[in-house]
Amino acid sequence: MSSNTPNHASTLQAASGAVRRGNRKGRGGRLFAHTMLVAIGIAALLPFVWMLSTSLKTLQATTAYPPTFWPSPIQWHNYADVFRQEKANFLLWTRNTLVIEVLGVTGTTLSSAIVAYGFARLRFRGRNALFVLMLSTMMLPFPVTMVSLFSLFRWLGDHTGIAWLGTFKPLWVPAWFGSAFNIFLLRQFFMTIPTELSESARIDGCSEFGIFWRIILPLARPALAVVALFAFLAIWNDFLGPLVYLQRPEQFTLVLGLQNFQSKAGGTSWHLLMAASVLVILPAIMLFFVAQKTFIEGIATTGIKQ
Amino acid sequence: MARWHSETRAVLRGLAFLSPWLVGFFAFTLVPIALSLYYSFCDYSLLQPPLYKGLTNYHLLVHDNVFWKVLRNTAIYALMALPLGMLAALGVAMLLNVKIRGLAFYRTVIFLPSLVPTAASAMLWLWLFNAKLGLINVGLRAIGVTNPPGWLTDVRWSMPALVLMSFWGIGNTVIIYLAGLQDVPRELYEAASIDGASTVRKIWHVTLPSISPVIFFNLIMGIIGTLQVFATPYIMTGGGPARSTYFYTMYLYDNAFSYLKMGYASAMAWVQLLIVLVLTALAAWSSKKWVHYSGN
Amino acid sequence: MASFSARAFSGLKHVVSAALIASGAAVLVFGPRAGEEAPKNCVVVDYWEKWTGEEEAAMRQIVDDFNSTVGRDKHIFVRYLSTSSIEQKTLVAAAAGVPPDVAGLYNQDIPQFGAMNSLEPLEDMAAERGITADKYKKVFWDEGHYDGHLYGLVSTAYDLALYYNKTIFSEGASALRTRGLDPERAPGTIAELDEYAQALDRIDPSGRIILAGYIPAEPGWYINYTCIWFGGSWWNDREHKFTFTDPGVLRAYHWINGYSKRLGPEAVAEFRSGFGAIDTPTNPFLAPTVAMVQHGTFFARFIHHLKPSMDGQWAAAPFPSYDPKLRDVTYCNCDMLVIPRGSKHRQEAFEFIAFVNRQDEMEKLANLHCKISPLAKVSEGFLDHHNNPYIRVFDTLAASPNAHPTEPVPILPEVNDELNDFTDRLALQQVTPEKGLQDVQQRLQQKYDQFIEDQHQRKMMER
Repeated sequence: MSSNTPNHASTLQAASGAVRRGNRKGRGGRLFAHTMLVAIGIAALLPFVWMLSTSLKTLQATTAYPPTFWPSPIQWHNYADVFRQEKANFLLWTRNTLVIEVLGVTGTTLSSAIVAYGFARLRFRGRNALFVLMLSTMMLPFPVTMVSLFSLFRWLGDHTGIAWLGTFKPLWVPAWFGSAFNIFLLRQFFMTIPTELSESARIDGCSEFGIFWRIILPLARPALAVVALFAFLAIWNDFLGPLVYLQRPEQFTLVLGLQNFQSKAGGTSWHLLMAASVLVILPAIMLFFVAQKTFIEGIATTGIKQ
Repeated sequence: MARWHSETRAVLRGLAFLSPWLVGFFAFTLVPIALSLYYSFCDYSLLQPPLYKGLTNYHLLVHDNVFWKVLRNTAIYALMALPLGMLAALGVAMLLNVKIRGLAFYRTVIFLPSLVPTAASAMLWLWLFNAKLGLINVGLRAIGVTNPPGWLTDVRWSMPALVLMSFWGIGNTVIIYLAGLQDVPRELYEAASIDGASTVRKIWHVTLPSISPVIFFNLIMGIIGTLQVFATPYIMTGGGPARSTYFYTMYLYDNAFSYLKMGYASAMAWVQLLIVLVLTALAAWSSKKWVHYSGN
Repeated sequence: MASFSARAFSGLKHVVSAALIASGAAVLVFGPRAGEEAPKNCVVVDYWEKWTGEEEAAMRQIVDDFNSTVGRDKHIFVRYLSTSSIEQKTLVAAAAGVPPDVAGLYNQDIPQFGAMNSLEPLEDMAAERGITADKYKKVFWDEGHYDGHLYGLVSTAYDLALYYNKTIFSEGASALRTRGLDPERAPGTIAELDEYAQALDRIDPSGRIILAGYIPAEPGWYINYTCIWFGGSWWNDREHKFTFTDPGVLRAYHWINGYSKRLGPEAVAEFRSGFGAIDTPTNPFLAPTVAMVQHGTFFARFIHHLKPSMDGQWAAAPFPSYDPKLRDVTYCNCDMLVIPRGSKHRQEAFEFIAFVNRQDEMEKLANLHCKISPLAKVSEGFLDHHNNPYIRVFDTLAASPNAHPTEPVPILPEVNDELNDFTDRLALQQVTPEKGLQDVQQRLQQKYDQFIEDQHQRKMMER
């Protein structure tokens, strides 16, 4: 696209005309936007409403035809039933997920910050080549390493005496070695911190790690929050990983347990299945409610300039 | 002399900070990739040691009609879901870019579905697509459609159902586009208005080129994502009916963990990697033609 | 005003975050951990099973019986864990080196698991306890073997028969009699079955099926074994060859296809979309939308449970064969208890398996599950007080010489996937039986030969 820059005066003249013309077009445009957004909003929310509605029905009400929107009477106890159902172990699965979360989120955030610092604040030969290499690993589909990681973990268990399979380790230990996506995100942020801060600290005799720990990291709190948030959701949401690495039912994470619950229930107790789904979704929604700004800004920055 | 010394120190310092990633890259990426390549030339079930078989797995792959079927299914899904999804996300983002009240509310509502874990949304949509009791068919019957499709139980509608469902989660992409749209300098629009451009021409000549880097990013992410689709069809249909929703990663997973043919699965994984690389390279090469990085 | 609501909103955010963190911490610190319930100084035997609901409760009773008797004496505690995809999870867990001590698989898993070297052989431990072939009905003893080893012992067993709705038969008595059929008994041959089905079909003028006399797709669980009632088989165990193009197999699939063609694939698809799962009142036999189904012994429990009004309105008889001279044909299936390779407590695990195979415990479990007893000796009390009023039909069938086991093919998951895909496409009229079976034959024989070749090469390597 060529950029013809008209001179200033005519721009202003034309701009004011455009604004006047825009007001009339703007209202029509705004009405159109409003209508479309309302329709889209309804489409987005309707499944949630239906899920909630089903979760509060009795079993008969779910199979009733034609289906009703509002359950009556409202079966709040469905949620309690989910916890009690055949030792569905909802609390156990939640705890398992939280253990992996704590270990995984801490690991990702810390290690990604350290590596991102290396890429962003230090200059050395080969840095850019390594960065490109790291970026390219983002394109690696998980299935490529899935099978060999499995056998690698088995081999480690057999030969080092530390069991990997049959524990949570495969799901959180790799997080302590940095995640390409988060390193990229943090590097973007670190690069926006003025170099003078590091320079003056170096002159004062501060070690590189000290600069990282005491100056850069505290400044990076918003970015770290984004990373922690994304990491939390990624672990909460992860299905294929737990499916491959967790075999023992008492070790299942929440989403794996949910799917197990569904395939055992035979797809018939929809009221309980929907209640269970609501429970699984709730923490993510509450988290979003608490950290909305962080969320939106974080996602926005991922798309800007690769 | 001194320069070489300080340069070495700089490299060592850099590598020290990079060490977590370097070790992880070696242990969890490089070694597994190499192993995976080796396994692709073997017959391996993990319960017994690997048996070297040369190119047999790849040969079998080429003659495996299920392989071609899942490849086709994955391609069809990607060709449907990716462009349509990006178009829809862009459209919604442009709507949100209009200065209206309640923008934050709409944005929240549209974003909410992308927070839902795949397993939970799979379950929800399984219920929504239920041929008899699901909300979708109930709605269709209410507006007069006498024979609504069987969706997930009908070979012709199972794939469209999954594509339809993918639109629910575009909120993430919408936010990214929105940020890109908000970054477009206003002067460009004003200049176009002066030149007498209609809204459509403004979009084509100002908006799209300005956000082309964002489009490119979403395209790459989309390619990588749709080629790996697994959890949703695994939970919702198990690949049926008649393998109409059987995707590449699902067949890979079945080979690895159902038939315990890990060698064959590794061969499939390498083919998948090559496809992703080729497509990404194509996208990157084509990007020279249509992606404009504005010199900020 | 604005700042107040902003402050209230931010206050609410803090409350919610505090609640999230507090509940998260509570679950972390006080939440349940894996492996809590076992008593100390006992060997814990992990037992993974597929059952849920009533079937799970029944097995738990047996587990409790064990823990409170033999378990207490020998310091063994069996811990029951329910999981879906049991075969896959057990296989992968064995591959991972962390298998359960006992797994409840299906009998058709035995060949695959055995061929992959993922199960502990049980013949020595069984011989020590006097568990021998003569104690079982032949089918069920055979089904636990592969390649000369005993890999599994039965937990519950069942076989198939024809369930028919006596009320619908009597309602259609005149239609049946005009065809020369007796509404007081079940069809005796496949040809008769087809006649009964057609006489009882209720189809509205537009072609929509209201009630089907019989439809092979319901339940369709055993459709891959239809050939045995046609005197055919798709596996030749002596020569280790697939025989999908066997005339009996072809006849069977032509027969299955006949129903699709006669009723119309669209009508069948629409009809089937209204079918409910086995454990719902919209189960086709209970609705009722089909008059006859081929089902297992356990089906009586579902009938009684979900529609008690149907008690006494149904009956069971041997499923008819194509050839009237082929009598008492049935397909036998069972759940097997196995010990995955790598289990750390083989002896204790087998104690439990042996306990389940005691006649009293076995009959107790079989009655609760509404299934037959796999043992050769069956007490009269069991037959008299069974939950299935037609238990003697099922019991006799299981002991008949024409009781057919699952084919001992080690690549059974792939066979099932291929056959299921073929059946789907057949129903859609996308392929003819001949062509489809030829394809299946060629693909599967190649896979099997490859599999055997690999196993052979492995054995050579080990020398």
